[in-house]
Amino acid sequence: MNGFAATIPILIVVLSAIAAMLAEAIRHPGERMYIAGFGLIGLVGALVASCFLWDTDAISFGVVRADNFSLFINIILCIVGILTMVFSNDVVEREQLPAGEYYALTLFGISGMMLMAAAVDLLVIFLALEVLSLAVYVLTGLRRSSAQGAEAAFKYFLLGAFSSAFFLYGIAFAFAVTGSTRLDAVAAAMLSGPTQPLALLAVGLMAVGFSFKVSAVPFHMWTPDAYEGAPTVVTAFMSTAVKAAAFAAFARVFLSTLEPFQGHWGPVLSVIAVATMIVGSVLGVLQSNIKRMLAYSSIAHAGYLLLGIVAANRSGKAAILFYLLAYAVANLGALGIVALLGTADEPHDQLRDFAGLWRSRPGLAGLLTVFLLSLGGFPPTAGFIAKWYIFSAAMQEGHYWLAIIGVLTSVISVFFYLRIVVMMYMTEEAGAPARPRISIPSMLALTFAVLATFYLGVLPTKVLDYALQSIETIF
Amino acid sequence: MLLSTIVFLPLAGALLVLLVGGRGDNPEREGTVRLVALASSLVTFAATMYLWWAFDPVSADFQFVERYEWLPKFGISYHLGVDGISLFLLVLTGFLTPLALLSSWAGIHKSVKLFSFFMLALETAMLGVFVSLDLFLFYLFWDAMLIPMYFLIGVWGYDRRIYAAVKFILYTMAGSVLMLLAIIGLAYAHPGAPSFDVLDLYKLNLPWSLQNWFFLAFALAFAIKVPLFPFHTWLPDAHVEAPTAGSVILAGVLLKMGTYGLLRFAFPLFPDAALFYAPWIARLAVIGIVYGALVAMVQPDMKKLVAYSSVSHLGVVVLGLCAVNVNGIQGAVYQMLNHGVSTGGLFMVVGMLSDRRHTRLISEYGGLKAVAPRLVAAFLLITLASIAMPGMNGFIGEFLILMGAFKQFPWLTAVGATGVILSAVYMLWMFQRVNYGEVTNPKNSALPDLSGREWAMMIPTVAMCIFMGVAPALFLRPMEPSIAKLIDLIHGVGR
Repeated sequence: MNGFAATIPILIVVLSAIAAMLAEAIRHPGERMYIAGFGLIGLVGALVASCFLWDTDAISFGVVRADNFSLFINIILCIVGILTMVFSNDVVEREQLPAGEYYALTLFGISGMMLMAAAVDLLVIFLALEVLSLAVYVLTGLRRSSAQGAEAAFKYFLLGAFSSAFFLYGIAFAFAVTGSTRLDAVAAAMLSGPTQPLALLAVGLMAVGFSFKVSAVPFHMWTPDAYEGAPTVVTAFMSTAVKAAAFAAFARVFLSTLEPFQGHWGPVLSVIAVATMIVGSVLGVLQSNIKRMLAYSSIAHAGYLLLGIVAANRSGKAAILFYLLAYAVANLGALGIVALLGTADEPHDQLRDFAGLWRSRPGLAGLLTVFLLSLGGFPPTAGFIAKWYIFSAAMQEGHYWLAIIGVLTSVISVFFYLRIVVMMYMTEEAGAPARPRISIPSMLALTFAVLATFYLGVLPTKVLDYALQSIETIF
Repeated sequence: MLLSTIVFLPLAGALLVLLVGGRGDNPEREGTVRLVALASSLVTFAATMYLWWAFDPVSADFQFVERYEWLPKFGISYHLGVDGISLFLLVLTGFLTPLALLSSWAGIHKSVKLFSFFMLALETAMLGVFVSLDLFLFYLFWDAMLIPMYFLIGVWGYDRRIYAAVKFILYTMAGSVLMLLAIIGLAYAHPGAPSFDVLDLYKLNLPWSLQNWFFLAFALAFAIKVPLFPFHTWLPDAHVEAPTAGSVILAGVLLKMGTYGLLRFAFPLFPDAALFYAPWIARLAVIGIVYGALVAMVQPDMKKLVAYSSVSHLGVVVLGLCAVNVNGIQGAVYQMLNHGVSTGGLFMVVGMLSDRRHTRLISEYGGLKAVAPRLVAAFLLITLASIAMPGMNGFIGEFLILMGAFKQFPWLTAVGATGVILSAVYMLWMFQRVNYGEVTNPKNSALPDLSGREWAMMIPTVAMCIFMGVAPALFLRPMEPSIAKLIDLIHGVGR
């Protein structure tokens, strides 16, 4: 395998992003062009390339490693990306988003995420983090006429810049202690000598940076605003893809390189996990805007995922991957439906907008119900297996209290998922909002997501095996 | 394959219902949908009857066992089996579901397709709970059952239906998630590879500290489901707000999942803790018996009265379980079936009255005997079964329970026995106020008597009440070997 192999999926996505930009440039004003098609081609290509790279463990330039772990994340990202492209094709024009910029930024963002999952050098992780962050900041504020979007983007950008600075500081300290930014070299150097205060400082600062990106409490403040202010389809994309990429890097850095310091960061992350689960699920109950509600839900899910990192055993590591997949499918499905129902004038994101959805759109209401039940962790959906797996990983390491708080907060979160169900099925429609038609490709994409949710919930063996294989190579 | 067939037949029926129901809410197809749903529940009932016929009554082992690897790395398998205890709960579920569906024909007109879908999906989940021999599989059915019930209460219920539905689901979940953690802990306490297989886990000898916590987590989940005092507060709301069919299933089958869980899982898996806590649970049960009866007595609403009577009657069942001897447990299992039939029947009768008058208040009725004598006759027979008249089914069950419990807790049983008297007081008092005397309310003067559909519901119910009262051996004999084996397991014989 030549030196480029590990970067092939990333390069394919970058090429498709460039194609989308060029397409926008040569497009006549008002001409309709199927720009999403470039994205679809690129993402399918990246998906195929990732499958071909499975088990090869290719390394490019010494800093990008296509091990099964990063390939698993690649596959999640490609699925998220493909579904997003399909939804976007319906939504972008209706919401009057600038098409070329939108598709290019989304694809560049995905390339950054893939790089982040595959990077084995702290500086490359930082680089990837910035690529994806900048893309997502702009996407958040993409609707230029919206004051709310501008506010959200600005808030997200400022806080994100802070957290990037923290992260970079952490890298600097790590470099100061170990003389390298390569993860393996850092790990070796940190293990060899006595624990230095500077090394702990580096660990702490990097933890802050990652916690911000995965929106863990107390670094979650940007999440509800950014999720609410962004166009819904962007919210769907970033709530799933950014979380997957950030957790991939989080897990890689903390569970392999910094694993010797587990005695130090373990308790801190436990506290963060508890706070995240509680804040996410309790504040979610109070929301009346469904995007804000799902923002808090995504905070709560970050808390459950942190349990996997705290557990730090094989099950925990594999559980993170499975959970990310289950969460991505369900959350993307749920927010995708919200996005598909919205128009530029009527965002269809208030809880009451969903009143009587079941009467006018029974199929759509059924799909949304399945996604919400999966997020709430009901069998026989993917969410149940994911939660069961991550809690049993925590239990194996004796973190009984974390698991108990986890299950109890997930009961609280069921309350707000059910509020949406109550609206759809048990409340009569007041003034029927004009709900746009859903195109056939979008319906197919949603159907795929539902089938995946049930497949992962009923026959998870195969995917769990892949998840276990994925962690073998690096941990 | 027989058990899998039985469990998934209703689900197949549910999908068929969606198919024949057409797009959206289609009132023209209502009749077809109802017939398809009823037919699939009847086929399921026939299958459970066949199971009874093919069941070997002298064996104590699990029969019709099916076992396939499911998640082998985690020790999870698809493991089904039926013994003398679960056999009749399957038959009961099969028996009550068609009746519950029939009971909805007059009252439910909103989205019959979805209603039938959820009823049949619920039946699959209930049947699954009773045949699972793998704790993971059991939990899956246990939790999945909440969703259809939540919809049944929330969409087709009465005025405060949303409150009741949400309370029901959150209350039950809060208890069962802790059981999930205990299940995980238990599986990993298995030496070597983890195992979720109940038969493997029966053989464990867990240290006291683990038994203690695991038992409490299991017992809490089941106590909420039963419901045992003081965890019963969800029940009156859920019962009163649920549509008739929902109440029938809720009282008839769902509550039994709690007592079944205690008997099948909590007691034999953690025998030391079970024997330690049994007297305490028995105390809660007796408090529930008396408390439920006293509260039932003052209810102005018939449905609420029957709901509280369930708290009282299920207390009797739990008292029998806590005795941990053959009489007590046999009586308890028998009483689970009796309560399912008689209380299910009572809810059907209340449903018929409320279909006619759209009220369930006792004070709105009076003198129905002269107006609708056949309905009242059925009402009377079911009431007598519910208050354990000799010759009716309730008598056998309660007698066995009291006999078994008396050996273990004489004083407690003496107090609990007042519940039997109190139940006669509140049931007969309600019956008298509703049916005897003059017709005081002119709206009642022209109430129609039983329709053909209602005959079809009442005849099997009443027949079953009497049949189970006069031929108990038919039911008790197949139970005996399994119960004896279970008691040995709890007392540590052959462990």
